[in-house]
Amino acid sequence: METRLLIVNSDPVFQDRALALFDMMESIEVRVVRALSDAISVLLGENFDALFVEGDGPLALEQAANVRQHFPSLEIVCLVSGPCDSDSTQLATQQNINVILANGSDRRLDRDIRSFVQTLERPLGAAAEGIDPCHSLIGNLNQFSAAEILQMSCLGQRSGRFTFKSGRGNSEIYLQQGSVRHAVFDSLEGEAAVAEVFRWRQGRFYFEEGIISQVQTVNRPWAHLLIDNLQKLDETLELASVNASSYEG
Amino acid sequence: MKDKALETKLRVLTLQLDSWKKLHDFITYGLDKAKPIVSAEQERQFTEIRAYLLQETEFVFKELDLLGELSGKAMNVLQRASSIRGVRDLTNDEVRRLEMEWNGVFTKLGVLQGQLKTQRKELAKMHPLKYYLNRALRRPILATS
Repeated sequence: METRLLIVNSDPVFQDRALALFDMMESIEVRVVRALSDAISVLLGENFDALFVEGDGPLALEQAANVRQHFPSLEIVCLVSGPCDSDSTQLATQQNINVILANGSDRRLDRDIRSFVQTLERPLGAAAEGIDPCHSLIGNLNQFSAAEILQMSCLGQRSGRFTFKSGRGNSEIYLQQGSVRHAVFDSLEGEAAVAEVFRWRQGRFYFEEGIISQVQTVNRPWAHLLIDNLQKLDETLELASVNASSYEG
Repeated sequence: MKDKALETKLRVLTLQLDSWKKLHDFITYGLDKAKPIVSAEQERQFTEIRAYLLQETEFVFKELDLLGELSGKAMNVLQRASSIRGVRDLTNDEVRRLEMEWNGVFTKLGVLQGQLKTQRKELAKMHPLKYYLNRALRRPILATS
């Protein structure tokens, strides 16, 4: 399975030092976009293992931090060509953004990019999924969004575990008496994991009644989570629609 | 096996084709009588794509060895399509010529993209030793290239 990378580069024809290195890497698929809005639009529709933002230090980091607000679990790398001030470095650390300095030699840049890309390579996991008698609700996310099914379950005062499976990975959300108690996706926990699942448009889900989490990572009422996440989703869609609307009219 | 020059050609060609497709979307929108509103944002996006094409076309065509064949047609398209509103004001004859020249550029680039992808596929199957031997002996890397 190829590692899929999305690269934001405002001048991919003339400023193509890093792109030339990506060209020569095996088992990766690269998609290049010129603007952040294009990137968000692409990320909403397809799964990528990582996003690379190329540019001058502070600007590239600001763009990367912007994407982080909309895609909490995405691996983001900034390929910065200029100097980075301490504020920018702090921002990168806070937002979990990897920084690779692009002003060194080609060999060093190649080594840094390759070592990062290697961390993305995952073993193929067989989807161990089937209909189990304990799954009281099973469905597809392209027919019912995560927001819809969680809303329905919370209104019904359900307790149990939702498992969401998509190309991005698996996520679990635990409900207790109609409230979200715990959510986990990859290394994310709590509200960030709920926010991630809200964006999924492809995949499957199932609910297992009665499985309760002992861990509590979500403390806010469901209604607040729903409103916040739908608002965030609207903002993401708005960013992405800047381009789409221009073509569609 | 991957060839650096081939990969670069494919990358710039893909970007170029993408820009030509987007330009066409805007031209089609401009010519659509059922869509009367052209927003400032749409005009801005159109100008941006036109600017990419204006600055990159010559370089890319040169890289692909298509400068003589396509440069004139591409420049005609870019000069006629100065804005979405401008496209709307073109005469039927000019619109036909614009579409014909756009199609000429797009078809040639599309065909070349297919050829380069075929080369890439063949190269992927090639043994590295054969690749480097062909290079050292200055033979064509692939029979088709």
